[in-house]
Amino acid sequence: MKKLIVAAALTAAFVLPAQADIRINGFANLIGGVTGSEESLYGYDDTFNLSEESLFALQASGSINERMSATVQILARGADDYDPNFEWAYISYRVTNRATLSAGRFRLPLFKYSDSLDIGYSHNWVSVPQAVYDVPFNNIDGFRVDYSDFVGDWEVKLGAAVGTFENEVSGGVITGDNTYMVNAEVSNDWLSLRTVYGGTEASFSQTQLDAAIGQIGQASASFADFLAINEDKSNFVGLGFTIDRFSWFLAGEYTNIEIADSYTPTDEAMFVTAGFRAGKWTPSVTYSVFEGDEVKGLEQLQALGQPLQAALTPSVLGLNALFAENYQVATATIRYDYAASFAVKLELSQYTDDLDETKDASLVRFAINYVF
Amino acid sequence: MKRIFGTLLFGALFSSHVFGGYAVVVHPENTSELDYQTVKRIFLGKETAFSNGELATVLTHSPDSSLRAEFDEAVLKRKTFAVDAQWSKLVFTGRGTMPQTVQSDQEMIDLILQNKNAIGFIETSSVISDVKVVKID
Repeated sequence: MKKLIVAAALTAAFVLPAQADIRINGFANLIGGVTGSEESLYGYDDTFNLSEESLFALQASGSINERMSATVQILARGADDYDPNFEWAYISYRVTNRATLSAGRFRLPLFKYSDSLDIGYSHNWVSVPQAVYDVPFNNIDGFRVDYSDFVGDWEVKLGAAVGTFENEVSGGVITGDNTYMVNAEVSNDWLSLRTVYGGTEASFSQTQLDAAIGQIGQASASFADFLAINEDKSNFVGLGFTIDRFSWFLAGEYTNIEIADSYTPTDEAMFVTAGFRAGKWTPSVTYSVFEGDEVKGLEQLQALGQPLQAALTPSVLGLNALFAENYQVATATIRYDYAASFAVKLELSQYTDDLDETKDASLVRFAINYVF
Repeated sequence: MKRIFGTLLFGALFSSHVFGGYAVVVHPENTSELDYQTVKRIFLGKETAFSNGELATVLTHSPDSSLRAEFDEAVLKRKTFAVDAQWSKLVFTGRGTMPQTVQSDQEMIDLILQNKNAIGFIETSSVISDVKVVKID
Protein backbone atom coordinates (compact mmCIF):
# COMPACT_ATOMS: atom_id res chain seq x y z
CA MET A 1 0.00 0.00 0.00
CA LYS A 2 2.77 2.42 0.94
CA LYS A 3 4.49 1.61 -2.33
CA LEU A 4 1.32 2.52 -4.15
CA ILE A 5 1.05 5.89 -2.45
CA VAL A 6 4.66 6.74 -3.22
CA ALA A 7 4.25 5.54 -6.77
CA ALA A 8 1.14 7.62 -7.19
CA ALA A 9 2.82 10.71 -5.76
CA LEU A 10 5.81 10.32 -8.01
CA THR A 11 3.65 9.73 -11.04
CA ALA A 12 1.88 12.97 -10.32
CA ALA A 13 5.17 14.76 -9.74
CA PHE A 14 6.64 13.56 -12.98
CA VAL A 15 3.49 13.91 -15.03
CA LEU A 16 4.38 10.62 -16.66
CA PRO A 17 1.96 9.08 -19.12
CA ALA A 18 -0.84 7.29 -17.33
CA GLN A 19 0.44 3.93 -18.55
CA ALA A 20 3.99 4.53 -17.29
CA ASP A 21 5.58 1.62 -15.58
CA ILE A 22 6.91 2.71 -12.18
CA ARG A 23 9.38 0.57 -10.31
CA ILE A 24 10.08 1.10 -6.65
CA ASN A 25 13.27 -0.25 -5.13
CA GLY A 26 14.95 0.54 -1.89
CA PHE A 27 17.90 -0.18 0.29
CA ALA A 28 18.79 0.23 3.92
CA ASN A 29 21.99 0.16 5.91
CA LEU A 30 21.70 0.01 9.66
CA ILE A 31 25.19 0.66 10.97
CA GLY A 32 26.36 0.97 14.54
CA GLY A 33 29.81 1.54 15.91
CA VAL A 34 31.94 2.46 18.88
CA THR A 35 35.62 3.41 19.24
CA GLY A 36 38.11 2.60 21.93
CA SER A 37 38.06 4.65 25.14
CA GLU A 38 38.43 8.42 24.52
CA GLU A 39 39.02 7.95 20.82
CA SER A 40 37.10 9.16 17.78
CA LEU A 41 36.99 8.12 14.15
CA TYR A 42 34.64 8.74 11.20
CA GLY A 43 32.16 10.50 13.48
CA TYR A 44 32.12 7.74 16.09
CA ASP A 45 33.39 8.03 19.64
CA ASP A 46 33.47 5.79 22.69
CA THR A 47 29.69 5.87 23.11
CA PHE A 48 27.80 3.48 20.86
CA ASN A 49 26.27 5.31 17.90
CA LEU A 50 23.63 3.97 15.55
CA SER A 51 22.94 7.01 13.40
CA GLU A 52 26.28 8.23 12.03
CA GLU A 53 26.25 6.04 8.91
CA SER A 54 22.80 4.45 8.89
CA LEU A 55 20.65 5.28 5.92
CA PHE A 56 17.40 4.39 4.24
CA ALA A 57 16.69 4.99 0.59
CA LEU A 58 13.83 4.67 -1.82
CA GLN A 59 14.25 4.76 -5.55
CA ALA A 60 11.53 5.23 -8.08
CA SER A 61 12.11 4.72 -11.78
CA GLY A 62 9.53 5.41 -14.40
CA SER A 63 9.83 4.44 -18.02
CA ILE A 64 8.61 7.28 -20.21
CA ASN A 65 9.05 5.04 -23.20
CA GLU A 66 11.32 2.17 -24.12
CA ARG A 67 14.30 4.49 -24.50
CA MET A 68 13.68 7.12 -21.85
CA SER A 69 13.33 6.79 -18.10
CA ALA A 70 13.31 9.04 -15.06
CA THR A 71 14.87 8.06 -11.74
CA VAL A 72 14.76 9.67 -8.32
CA GLN A 73 16.55 8.37 -5.29
CA ILE A 74 15.50 9.75 -1.96
CA LEU A 75 17.98 9.08 0.79
CA ALA A 76 17.59 9.66 4.52
CA ARG A 77 20.86 9.63 6.43
CA GLY A 78 21.04 9.17 10.17
CA ALA A 79 23.77 11.81 10.26
CA ASP A 80 21.21 14.33 8.90
CA ASP A 81 18.54 13.30 11.41
CA TYR A 82 17.01 11.12 8.65
CA ASP A 83 15.90 14.20 6.75
CA PRO A 84 15.08 12.87 3.29
CA ASN A 85 17.22 14.27 0.53
CA PHE A 86 17.02 13.96 -3.23
CA GLU A 87 20.34 12.22 -3.68
CA TRP A 88 19.82 11.52 -7.36
CA ALA A 89 17.26 12.77 -9.83
CA TYR A 90 17.91 12.27 -13.48
CA ILE A 91 16.48 11.42 -16.86
CA SER A 92 18.20 8.73 -18.91
CA TYR A 93 17.98 8.34 -22.63
CA ARG A 94 19.15 5.17 -24.27
CA VAL A 95 20.72 6.52 -27.44
CA THR A 96 21.56 3.02 -28.67
CA ASN A 97 21.59 -0.33 -26.87
CA ARG A 98 25.21 0.43 -26.01
CA ALA A 99 25.06 4.11 -25.06
CA THR A 100 23.04 5.97 -22.45
CA LEU A 101 22.87 9.71 -21.88
CA SER A 102 21.76 10.95 -18.47
CA ALA A 103 20.94 14.47 -17.32
CA GLY A 104 20.25 15.71 -13.82
CA ARG A 105 21.84 15.02 -10.46
CA PHE A 106 23.75 11.78 -10.27
CA ARG A 107 26.78 10.08 -8.79
CA LEU A 108 30.08 11.06 -10.42
CA PRO A 109 31.71 7.72 -11.33
CA LEU A 110 35.12 8.59 -9.91
CA PHE A 111 35.75 5.25 -8.25
CA LYS A 112 35.15 1.60 -8.90
CA TYR A 113 32.30 1.50 -6.37
CA SER A 114 31.07 5.11 -6.79
CA ASP A 115 27.72 4.14 -8.20
CA SER A 116 26.92 1.74 -5.42
CA LEU A 117 28.85 3.05 -2.43
CA ASP A 118 25.67 3.71 -0.43
CA ILE A 119 24.29 0.25 -1.19
CA GLY A 120 26.00 -1.74 1.51
CA TYR A 121 24.53 -4.98 0.20
CA SER A 122 26.48 -4.65 -3.06
CA HIS A 123 29.96 -4.64 -1.50
CA ASN A 124 31.81 -6.46 1.25
CA TRP A 125 32.62 -3.64 3.68
CA VAL A 126 30.59 -1.91 6.36
CA SER A 127 31.55 1.23 4.45
CA VAL A 128 33.77 1.65 1.38
CA PRO A 129 37.36 2.68 2.29
CA GLN A 130 36.91 6.27 3.50
CA ALA A 131 40.54 7.21 2.82
CA VAL A 132 39.82 6.96 -0.89
CA TYR A 133 36.06 7.47 -1.18
CA ASP A 134 35.40 10.32 1.23
CA VAL A 135 35.58 13.23 -1.24
CA PRO A 136 33.19 16.22 -1.31
CA PHE A 137 32.27 15.80 -4.97
CA ASN A 138 30.61 12.42 -5.25
CA ASN A 139 27.41 13.84 -6.70
CA ILE A 140 27.19 16.39 -9.49
CA ASP A 141 24.54 18.21 -11.46
CA GLY A 142 25.10 17.82 -15.16
CA PHE A 143 25.27 15.32 -17.98
CA ARG A 144 26.71 11.87 -18.17
CA VAL A 145 27.21 9.48 -21.06
CA ASP A 146 27.95 5.78 -20.60
CA TYR A 147 28.99 3.38 -23.31
CA SER A 148 29.62 -0.35 -23.05
CA ASP A 149 30.57 -2.95 -25.60
CA PHE A 150 32.21 -6.36 -25.87
CA VAL A 151 35.44 -7.20 -27.62
CA GLY A 152 35.88 -10.97 -27.60
CA ASP A 153 35.81 -12.04 -23.96
CA TRP A 154 36.33 -8.46 -22.76
CA GLU A 155 33.73 -5.95 -21.72
CA VAL A 156 34.72 -2.35 -22.40
CA LYS A 157 33.03 0.53 -20.58
CA LEU A 158 33.64 4.16 -21.36
CA GLY A 159 32.09 7.10 -19.60
CA ALA A 160 32.21 10.87 -19.53
CA ALA A 161 30.49 13.44 -17.34
CA VAL A 162 30.30 17.22 -17.19
CA GLY A 163 28.64 19.44 -14.62
CA THR A 164 28.99 21.39 -11.40
CA PHE A 165 28.97 20.48 -7.73
CA GLU A 166 28.54 22.24 -4.42
CA ASN A 167 29.05 20.67 -1.05
CA GLU A 168 29.53 21.54 2.60
CA VAL A 169 32.86 20.40 3.99
CA SER A 170 35.07 21.40 6.94
CA GLY A 171 32.67 24.14 8.00
CA GLY A 172 32.77 25.77 4.58
CA VAL A 173 31.42 25.34 1.10
CA ILE A 174 33.31 23.83 -1.81
CA THR A 175 32.10 24.36 -5.33
CA GLY A 176 33.34 23.00 -8.64
CA ASP A 177 32.56 24.72 -11.91
CA ASN A 178 33.22 23.25 -15.35
CA THR A 179 33.73 19.82 -13.83
CA TYR A 180 34.47 17.09 -16.34
CA MET A 181 35.51 13.48 -16.07
CA VAL A 182 36.33 10.60 -18.39
CA ASN A 183 36.69 6.97 -17.37
CA ALA A 184 37.50 3.67 -19.04
CA GLU A 185 37.18 0.14 -17.73
CA VAL A 186 37.99 -3.19 -19.33
CA SER A 187 37.01 -6.46 -17.70
CA ASN A 188 36.72 -10.13 -18.42
CA ASP A 189 35.40 -12.95 -16.27
CA TRP A 190 37.91 -12.43 -13.51
CA LEU A 191 39.98 -9.31 -14.14
CA SER A 192 38.93 -5.67 -14.27
CA LEU A 193 41.11 -2.61 -14.89
CA ARG A 194 39.89 0.94 -14.56
CA THR A 195 41.23 4.43 -15.08
CA VAL A 196 39.69 7.86 -14.60
CA TYR A 197 40.75 11.44 -15.17
CA GLY A 198 38.81 14.50 -14.13
CA GLY A 199 39.16 18.23 -13.66
CA THR A 200 37.28 21.12 -12.13
CA GLU A 201 37.62 24.79 -11.22
CA ALA A 202 37.42 24.58 -7.47
CA SER A 203 36.48 27.26 -4.96
CA PHE A 204 36.39 26.89 -1.22
CA SER A 205 34.99 29.43 1.17
CA GLN A 206 34.95 29.33 4.95
CA THR A 207 34.62 32.39 7.18
CA GLN A 208 37.79 32.15 9.27
CA LEU A 209 39.86 30.96 6.36
CA ASP A 210 38.67 33.72 4.09
CA ALA A 211 39.58 36.23 6.82
CA ALA A 212 43.08 34.75 7.20
CA ILE A 213 43.72 34.88 3.46
CA GLY A 214 42.26 38.39 3.38
CA GLN A 215 44.89 39.52 5.89
CA ILE A 216 47.67 37.98 3.83
CA GLY A 217 46.19 39.79 0.84
CA GLN A 218 46.83 43.13 2.53
CA ALA A 219 50.54 42.26 2.51
CA SER A 220 50.64 40.63 -0.94
CA ALA A 221 47.61 40.31 -3.16
CA SER A 222 49.32 37.91 -5.58
CA PHE A 223 50.45 35.58 -2.79
CA ALA A 224 46.94 35.56 -1.30
CA ASP A 225 45.63 34.71 -4.73
CA PHE A 226 48.06 31.80 -4.95
CA LEU A 227 46.93 30.47 -1.58
CA ALA A 228 43.19 30.89 -1.98
CA ILE A 229 41.12 28.14 -3.57
CA ASN A 230 39.25 30.43 -5.88
CA GLU A 231 38.31 29.04 -9.28
CA ASP A 232 41.57 27.16 -9.26
CA LYS A 233 42.24 24.33 -11.66
CA SER A 234 42.13 21.04 -9.88
CA ASN A 235 42.57 17.54 -11.22
CA PHE A 236 41.76 14.01 -10.25
CA VAL A 237 43.52 10.84 -11.41
CA GLY A 238 42.36 7.37 -10.45
CA LEU A 239 43.47 3.81 -11.18
CA GLY A 240 41.90 0.58 -10.04
CA PHE A 241 42.05 -3.16 -10.49
CA THR A 242 39.95 -6.11 -9.37
CA ILE A 243 40.81 -9.78 -9.59
CA ASP A 244 37.80 -11.87 -8.69
CA ARG A 245 38.10 -15.65 -8.95
CA PHE A 246 34.90 -15.90 -6.97
CA SER A 247 36.34 -18.18 -4.30
CA TRP A 248 38.81 -15.34 -3.59
CA PHE A 249 39.34 -11.73 -4.67
CA LEU A 250 42.00 -9.04 -4.62
CA ALA A 251 41.32 -5.41 -5.51
CA GLY A 252 42.83 -1.97 -5.14
CA GLU A 253 42.41 1.66 -6.07
CA TYR A 254 44.72 4.64 -6.19
CA THR A 255 43.68 8.29 -6.48
CA ASN A 256 45.56 11.56 -6.70
CA ILE A 257 43.78 14.89 -6.17
CA GLU A 258 45.59 18.16 -6.71
CA ILE A 259 44.69 21.83 -6.55
CA ALA A 260 48.03 23.23 -7.75
CA ASP A 261 47.68 26.91 -6.79
CA SER A 262 46.44 26.67 -3.23
CA TYR A 263 47.37 26.02 0.37
CA THR A 264 45.88 22.55 0.21
CA PRO A 265 48.26 19.61 -0.19
CA THR A 266 48.08 17.11 -3.02
CA ASP A 267 46.20 14.09 -1.70
CA GLU A 268 47.28 10.60 -2.60
CA ALA A 269 45.04 7.82 -1.37
CA MET A 270 44.94 4.11 -2.00
CA PHE A 271 43.58 0.87 -0.67
CA VAL A 272 44.16 -2.82 -1.25
CA THR A 273 41.62 -5.42 -0.22
CA ALA A 274 41.65 -9.21 -0.30
CA GLY A 275 39.21 -11.83 0.84
CA PHE A 276 37.58 -15.13 0.11
CA ARG A 277 34.09 -16.56 -0.10
CA ALA A 278 33.22 -19.65 1.86
CA GLY A 279 29.53 -20.44 1.52
CA LYS A 280 27.62 -17.60 3.13
CA TRP A 281 30.72 -16.14 4.77
CA THR A 282 32.99 -13.55 3.14
CA PRO A 283 35.94 -12.55 5.31
CA SER A 284 38.27 -9.84 3.97
CA VAL A 285 41.06 -7.50 4.99
CA THR A 286 41.68 -4.00 3.68
CA TYR A 287 44.63 -1.65 4.06
CA SER A 288 44.22 2.04 3.23
CA VAL A 289 46.82 4.79 3.03
CA PHE A 290 46.21 8.53 2.83
CA GLU A 291 49.06 10.96 2.24
CA GLY A 292 48.40 14.67 1.97
CA ASP A 293 50.73 16.72 4.12
CA GLU A 294 53.28 18.46 1.89
CA VAL A 295 53.60 22.13 2.90
CA LYS A 296 52.79 24.49 0.05
CA GLY A 297 53.43 28.19 -0.52
CA LEU A 298 56.76 28.51 1.31
CA GLU A 299 58.71 29.05 -1.93
CA GLN A 300 56.31 31.72 -3.09
CA LEU A 301 56.53 33.28 0.37
CA GLN A 302 60.33 33.32 0.25
CA ALA A 303 60.17 35.21 -3.03
CA LEU A 304 58.42 38.04 -1.18
CA GLY A 305 61.53 38.54 0.99
CA GLN A 306 61.77 39.78 4.55
CA PRO A 307 60.10 41.04 6.65
CA LEU A 308 56.99 39.59 5.02
CA GLN A 309 58.38 36.07 5.03
CA ALA A 310 58.84 36.02 8.80
CA ALA A 311 55.53 37.75 9.42
CA LEU A 312 53.44 35.45 7.23
CA THR A 313 55.10 32.06 7.83
CA PRO A 314 52.87 31.17 10.82
CA SER A 315 49.71 31.98 8.84
CA VAL A 316 50.86 29.92 5.85
CA LEU A 317 51.73 26.96 8.04
CA GLY A 318 48.39 27.31 9.81
CA LEU A 319 46.51 27.23 6.51
CA ASN A 320 48.46 24.19 5.36
CA ALA A 321 47.70 22.37 8.59
CA LEU A 322 43.97 22.80 8.03
CA PHE A 323 43.70 20.05 5.41
CA ALA A 324 46.95 18.17 6.08
CA GLU A 325 46.40 14.49 6.77
CA ASN A 326 48.64 11.45 6.71
CA TYR A 327 47.32 8.16 8.03
CA GLN A 328 46.82 4.46 7.46
CA VAL A 329 43.84 2.28 8.25
CA ALA A 330 43.93 -1.50 8.63
CA THR A 331 40.53 -3.14 8.47
CA ALA A 332 39.19 -6.67 8.91
CA THR A 333 35.61 -7.40 7.84
CA ILE A 334 33.36 -10.39 7.83
CA ARG A 335 30.18 -10.51 5.78
CA TYR A 336 27.46 -13.10 6.30
CA ASP A 337 24.70 -13.51 3.72
CA TYR A 338 21.85 -14.34 6.02
CA ALA A 339 19.22 -14.51 3.27
CA ALA A 340 18.66 -13.25 -0.25
CA SER A 341 18.99 -9.45 -0.31
CA PHE A 342 19.99 -9.41 3.35
CA ALA A 343 23.54 -9.36 4.69
CA VAL A 344 25.11 -8.68 8.08
CA LYS A 345 28.70 -7.53 8.61
CA LEU A 346 31.16 -6.91 11.36
CA GLU A 347 34.21 -4.72 10.83
CA LEU A 348 37.20 -3.76 12.90
CA SER A 349 39.38 -0.79 11.88
CA GLN A 350 42.68 0.39 13.27
CA TYR A 351 43.54 4.01 12.38
CA THR A 352 47.14 5.21 12.68
CA ASP A 353 47.86 8.92 12.27
CA ASP A 354 51.38 9.97 11.24
CA LEU A 355 50.85 13.65 12.06
CA ASP A 356 49.17 13.41 15.42
CA GLU A 357 49.36 10.12 17.27
CA THR A 358 46.69 11.22 19.75
CA LYS A 359 44.27 10.67 16.83
CA ASP A 360 45.09 6.95 16.63
CA ALA A 361 41.89 5.01 17.10
CA SER A 362 40.26 1.63 16.83
CA LEU A 363 36.68 1.29 15.71
CA VAL A 364 34.28 -1.62 15.67
CA ARG A 365 31.18 -1.42 13.49
CA PHE A 366 28.38 -3.75 12.50
CA ALA A 367 26.04 -3.37 9.55
CA ILE A 368 22.74 -4.81 8.46
CA ASN A 369 22.24 -4.34 4.72
CA TYR A 370 19.00 -4.87 2.93
CA VAL A 371 17.81 -4.25 -0.62
CA PHE A 372 14.34 -4.66 -2.04
CA MET B 1 31.15 -32.12 -14.28
CA LYS B 2 29.51 -32.84 -10.96
CA ARG B 3 26.13 -32.17 -12.47
CA ILE B 4 26.76 -34.52 -15.36
CA PHE B 5 27.95 -37.16 -12.98
CA GLY B 6 24.90 -36.64 -10.80
CA THR B 7 22.66 -36.86 -13.82
CA LEU B 8 24.29 -40.09 -14.90
CA LEU B 9 24.03 -41.55 -11.47
CA PHE B 10 20.41 -40.59 -10.97
CA GLY B 11 19.67 -41.41 -14.58
CA ALA B 12 20.75 -44.94 -13.90
CA LEU B 13 18.52 -45.15 -10.84
CA PHE B 14 15.46 -43.30 -12.12
CA SER B 15 14.17 -42.43 -15.53
CA SER B 16 16.29 -39.59 -16.92
CA HIS B 17 13.59 -36.86 -16.75
CA VAL B 18 13.49 -37.03 -12.96
CA PHE B 19 16.82 -35.30 -12.62
CA GLY B 20 17.32 -33.30 -15.74
CA GLY B 21 18.98 -29.96 -14.98
CA TYR B 22 17.85 -26.72 -16.56
CA ALA B 23 17.07 -25.39 -20.02
CA VAL B 24 17.30 -21.74 -21.07
CA VAL B 25 14.12 -20.76 -22.88
CA VAL B 26 12.89 -17.88 -25.03
CA HIS B 27 9.82 -17.05 -27.09
CA PRO B 28 9.59 -19.23 -30.24
CA GLU B 29 9.72 -16.11 -32.44
CA ASN B 30 13.00 -14.97 -30.90
CA THR B 31 15.50 -15.65 -33.69
CA SER B 32 18.45 -13.76 -32.20
CA GLU B 33 21.81 -15.46 -31.87
CA LEU B 34 22.37 -16.73 -28.36
CA ASP B 35 25.45 -18.56 -27.13
CA TYR B 36 26.67 -19.31 -23.64
CA GLN B 37 28.58 -16.03 -23.30
CA THR B 38 25.60 -13.91 -24.39
CA VAL B 39 23.19 -15.78 -22.11
CA LYS B 40 25.53 -15.30 -19.17
CA ARG B 41 25.89 -11.58 -19.93
CA ILE B 42 22.14 -11.12 -20.25
CA PHE B 43 21.45 -12.88 -16.92
CA LEU B 44 24.08 -10.71 -15.22
CA GLY B 45 22.72 -7.50 -16.77
CA LYS B 46 25.93 -6.79 -18.66
CA GLU B 47 24.19 -7.18 -21.99
CA THR B 48 20.78 -5.51 -22.23
CA ALA B 49 19.62 -6.48 -25.71
CA PHE B 50 19.40 -9.50 -27.98
CA SER B 51 21.39 -9.60 -31.22
CA ASN B 52 18.23 -8.43 -33.05
CA GLY B 53 18.38 -5.19 -31.04
CA GLU B 54 15.35 -5.89 -28.85
CA LEU B 55 15.77 -5.22 -25.12
CA ALA B 56 15.78 -8.45 -23.14
CA THR B 57 13.30 -9.04 -20.31
CA VAL B 58 15.12 -11.29 -17.85
CA LEU B 59 13.09 -13.77 -15.81
CA THR B 60 14.45 -15.90 -13.01
CA HIS B 61 13.30 -18.17 -10.23
CA SER B 62 12.92 -17.12 -6.62
CA PRO B 63 16.26 -17.14 -4.75
CA ASP B 64 15.25 -20.04 -2.50
CA SER B 65 14.62 -22.47 -5.37
CA SER B 66 17.17 -25.21 -5.99
CA LEU B 67 16.85 -24.74 -9.77
CA ARG B 68 17.90 -21.10 -9.35
CA ALA B 69 20.90 -22.10 -7.25
CA GLU B 70 21.92 -24.68 -9.84
CA PHE B 71 21.55 -22.26 -12.75
CA ASP B 72 23.40 -19.40 -11.03
CA GLU B 73 26.28 -21.64 -10.10
CA ALA B 74 26.56 -23.55 -13.40
CA VAL B 75 25.88 -20.77 -15.90
CA LEU B 76 26.64 -17.53 -14.08
CA LYS B 77 29.44 -19.06 -11.99
CA ARG B 78 28.22 -17.23 -8.93
CA LYS B 79 26.23 -17.83 -5.76
CA THR B 80 22.69 -16.53 -5.98
CA PHE B 81 23.36 -13.76 -3.45
CA ALA B 82 26.25 -12.51 -5.58
CA VAL B 83 23.99 -12.42 -8.64
CA ASP B 84 21.46 -10.38 -6.63
CA ALA B 85 24.21 -8.03 -5.46
CA GLN B 86 25.30 -7.50 -9.08
CA TRP B 87 21.73 -6.65 -10.10
CA SER B 88 21.19 -4.33 -7.13
CA LYS B 89 24.16 -2.31 -8.39
CA LEU B 90 22.55 -1.95 -11.82
CA VAL B 91 19.12 -1.15 -10.43
CA PHE B 92 20.37 1.63 -8.17
CA THR B 93 22.35 3.25 -10.95
CA GLY B 94 19.41 3.26 -13.33
CA ARG B 95 21.13 0.80 -15.64
CA GLY B 96 18.88 -2.18 -15.19
CA THR B 97 15.60 -3.59 -13.96
CA MET B 98 15.70 -6.37 -11.38
CA PRO B 99 14.74 -9.64 -13.11
CA GLN B 100 11.17 -10.65 -12.40
CA THR B 101 11.06 -13.80 -10.27
CA VAL B 102 8.62 -16.62 -10.85
CA GLN B 103 7.48 -19.35 -8.48
CA SER B 104 7.16 -22.22 -10.94
CA ASP B 105 8.16 -23.46 -14.38
CA GLN B 106 4.57 -23.07 -15.51
CA GLU B 107 4.59 -19.39 -14.56
CA MET B 108 7.91 -19.00 -16.40
CA ILE B 109 6.49 -20.62 -19.54
CA ASP B 110 3.36 -18.43 -19.38
CA LEU B 111 5.46 -15.26 -19.15
CA ILE B 112 7.80 -16.34 -21.95
CA LEU B 113 4.84 -17.02 -24.23
CA GLN B 114 3.39 -13.57 -23.47
CA ASN B 115 6.60 -11.66 -24.21
CA LYS B 116 8.63 -11.99 -27.39
CA ASN B 117 11.69 -10.55 -25.64
CA ALA B 118 11.61 -12.59 -22.45
CA ILE B 119 14.35 -15.04 -21.49
CA GLY B 120 14.27 -17.47 -18.61
CA PHE B 121 15.07 -21.03 -17.60
CA ILE B 122 13.10 -24.09 -16.49
CA GLU B 123 13.70 -27.70 -15.51
CA THR B 124 14.54 -29.77 -18.60
CA SER B 125 11.60 -32.01 -17.71
CA SER B 126 9.23 -29.00 -17.94
CA VAL B 127 10.19 -28.14 -21.53
CA ILE B 128 7.25 -28.06 -23.89
CA SER B 129 7.28 -27.55 -27.65
CA ASP B 130 5.68 -24.05 -27.35
CA VAL B 131 8.90 -22.48 -26.04
CA LYS B 132 12.27 -22.34 -27.73
CA VAL B 133 15.21 -23.92 -25.95
CA VAL B 134 18.53 -22.09 -26.26
CA LYS B 135 21.57 -24.33 -26.63
CA ILE B 136 24.33 -22.98 -24.41
CA ASP B 137 26.78 -25.88 -24.29
